[in-house]
Amino acid sequence: MSYPTYLLDRTGLEDSHTLDVYRAAGGYTALKTILSGGHSPAQVIDMVKDSGLRGRGGAGFPTGLKWSFMPDPSKDPRERYLAVNADESEPGTCKDRILMQEDPHGLIEGILIACYAMRVRTAYVYVRGEFRLPYDRVAAAIEEARAAGLIGEKIMGSAFSCDIWMHKGAGAYICGEETGLMESLEGKRGHPRPKPPFPAGAGLWGQPTTVNNVETLFNAPFIVNRGADWYKSMGTAKSPGNVLVGISGHVEKPGVYEVPLGTSAKEILEDFAGGIWKGRKLKAWYPGGSSTGLLPASMIDLAMDHDSLKEAGSMLGTGAMVMLDDTACAVESMAVISRFYDHESCGQCSQCREGTQWLHQIFERIEAGDGRMEDIDLLSSLAHGMAPGKTICALADAAAIPTHAIVKHFRVELEEHVRLGGCPMKRTSERETVGAMGTRA
Amino acid sequence: MTRIILNGREVEADPKQPLIHACHTHDSDVPMYCYHPGLTPVGSCRICQVEVKIGEMPPRVVVACRTPVTEGMIVNTEAPGAHDARRQCLEFLLKNHPLDCPICDKAGECDLQDYSFNEGQGEGRSVEPRRQLEKRKSLGDVIVLDQERCILCSRCVRFFEDVTKKPQLTVAGLGSRSTIETFMDRPLEGNYQGNLADVCPVGALTLKKFRFQARVWNLKKSFSTCGECSRGCSITVEVLRSAEVKRVRPRYNPEVNDWWMCDTGRFAFPAWNDTERLSGSATHAGASIAPKPSADPTAALDEIAAMTRVASAETIAIVASPWITVEEGALVKSIADAFGAQATFVSPPANDLKDDLLHTGDPCPNRRGLEELGFVAQTADEVATLLGGSEAGILIGERVGSLIGAERLAAVPSTSRIAVLDTELALFPAACVSIGVPTSAERTGTWVNVDGKRGRISAAKPAPTGVTALTHTLEAILARVARVGVDG
Repeated sequence: MSYPTYLLDRTGLEDSHTLDVYRAAGGYTALKTILSGGHSPAQVIDMVKDSGLRGRGGAGFPTGLKWSFMPDPSKDPRERYLAVNADESEPGTCKDRILMQEDPHGLIEGILIACYAMRVRTAYVYVRGEFRLPYDRVAAAIEEARAAGLIGEKIMGSAFSCDIWMHKGAGAYICGEETGLMESLEGKRGHPRPKPPFPAGAGLWGQPTTVNNVETLFNAPFIVNRGADWYKSMGTAKSPGNVLVGISGHVEKPGVYEVPLGTSAKEILEDFAGGIWKGRKLKAWYPGGSSTGLLPASMIDLAMDHDSLKEAGSMLGTGAMVMLDDTACAVESMAVISRFYDHESCGQCSQCREGTQWLHQIFERIEAGDGRMEDIDLLSSLAHGMAPGKTICALADAAAIPTHAIVKHFRVELEEHVRLGGCPMKRTSERETVGAMGTRA
Repeated sequence: MTRIILNGREVEADPKQPLIHACHTHDSDVPMYCYHPGLTPVGSCRICQVEVKIGEMPPRVVVACRTPVTEGMIVNTEAPGAHDARRQCLEFLLKNHPLDCPICDKAGECDLQDYSFNEGQGEGRSVEPRRQLEKRKSLGDVIVLDQERCILCSRCVRFFEDVTKKPQLTVAGLGSRSTIETFMDRPLEGNYQGNLADVCPVGALTLKKFRFQARVWNLKKSFSTCGECSRGCSITVEVLRSAEVKRVRPRYNPEVNDWWMCDTGRFAFPAWNDTERLSGSATHAGASIAPKPSADPTAALDEIAAMTRVASAETIAIVASPWITVEEGALVKSIADAFGAQATFVSPPANDLKDDLLHTGDPCPNRRGLEELGFVAQTADEVATLLGGSEAGILIGERVGSLIGAERLAAVPSTSRIAVLDTELALFPAACVSIGVPTSAERTGTWVNVDGKRGRISAAKPAPTGVTALTHTLEAILARVARVGVDG
């Protein structure tokens, strides 16, 4: 399989995280083009709009459109912010980590381009607390860039000034939700805010704010350098570009791979991840993180892009594919995932606070052999009570979607657990553990 | 005003208020837990879901407390989707609720009970163990928290943030492990803690003084006005079996106190339940003769007429309590006028309870009303001097004796002859008549507060046998002294 790559190209270079290597590989040329008068802010936004870039944080919202929501500074002179979501915490996801760790200047250039386009002077990078090396690398890159006049006042001698600050999260999943992230950045509990108001109108400290994912911003310099048409030549018509997929679980070669959007999941599993490990068969898989729901092996031919997966009743999410082999238990997998959502719900909304706990209790009970047949319909009914759109943020949806999925695709296995009064698969303790979601390592 | 269609009816809605406000204004009882009209809406409990259709967009179910009203918006609070969403929300709220309504003080006035009754489902579907948390966590002298009953609406947290502006509570923990806590486990402070029991929509925050005191449906409620300072907060006085005041709660009045009141006013009611009272009247014709209480006031009233007949106008003191109403004050003024005397009232010094919210620090609930009638305020010392130099005096109204002070009254020479209309028997040498009067929980009338707003007090319970309305007593005195004027 051959296709143009760009996202991970520099990560193979020695000392790829340093400014010298980044510059030698053509880094900061996009910024230079812009600041030397190549493109006005509006032109940059139009270019990104035209490229069709969609957010890589999970929702797949068109990035250029999001940028254009920021108010016109001539009419709204308030201070404005960019918040970079580097709180990568969707279970199974580790793509932003690679970018921050191996190519931090690529992110910084993306941030500066976004700030230029939205006329932002201050950007914050909200990094997942557990990401120590990525944090240190980005922090060091910021210092390097500042010393080189790439961050700060009058960048590259232009009228554009911009500063970038880092902030470490403290391990809460909910702080990856954009309004929870803003609350956390302000020093408060990461409680998501009701919308409206939307961040572009009233975000950080009540000022216009845009929140973008690391990988999303990472795409910006390439679009500026090579043009929207080049970008649209990759991926699908509605989901252009390449995407990082992190494939983990019961595979031979887990890792983060760069593929064009629309590549089939089967191709990624077989050509990149070396297929299911130990010669076993695929039983089930998560296409884009735990929130996207477990799909059966029969759906492995699905194309990995926003629209194909949506059509199939799932989501691209963060492109974090998790594979379960035929010794894994779908119910146990859900017990683990529902425990996660129960643990991570912020507790504001009744449906989410109580519902995630309830789902968790039911899945644990079924897995332990105390399930009742009526529990299966109860699971669907509770998931319907929690989502969609019934709560402040999408965490309740993230717990409801995989619940619907397991009832839809693995009802037989749920019923088997109830009938047998326990799990028909080998107990976890008797199975090999890999620390992925299929097991409780 | 914005026009919206609410359940098929075109109504006007305040564009500065969320949709739920318009629903409530127009008699649509949309449920609420986290929403409180006096607090910042947070949209977290999700119970106030209604169906909204804006323009050509398909109808959506939204939370009414965080939805702005827009011109032409079509709102259906009874849509099946909205009912369904509220029913589901209630099921989640009840999943861990202990359902200990039989022993819960909130039962009967609990939003969780009421909305469950209205639109909850008949049966619970949970077989999981309920959350076990602290059932009786003391939050200081006023409030006790039952963490199991709490539905985490955060009204209590926002009460301190939004109203007293001194945050004292927080939601601690995450998700289903969340609990309401005070900072660093410190007890609550301040004079407004009692409001927590009112804002709490369930039985999580209850008053220590009301705990297990009464079933709320047995309480008879009367609208009245607080008499503990010149703010005159609107209140509801709640009486058990027409005898005992069990609770006083603030009543919404946007011109005076909104939804709130201070703890000083809230917990002043035990004095109203005092049974050591003067019922009837007594004459003792000088200190040497023991008082003879009687249910018939005629002798006492005649004695007042007699003792004031010997006096000349300049030597009659008419001293009222600042607790008397405008209506009572008018009669007192007429009595003073009949003698050509100056009507005065005892004005105690300001206390240190003044704050930025409600308490004025002036303990006189009707200072302004009496001043408008032409009364002159006098300190206790000035009143004592006045009495000492008088041949006769009439002290009128609840607390008048204690405001002047037992020591000052004891020092009044027995050459003065004093009649006292108070709740207690007057036992100082100059006292020769005592007539029992009703407390402000037993009278009806008007007080005028510090800003000139009129507050109605109303009888929440009957006065003890033998105690008649103060206006009746004053009218009887006026009739007698006026006749003296004609005859004399």
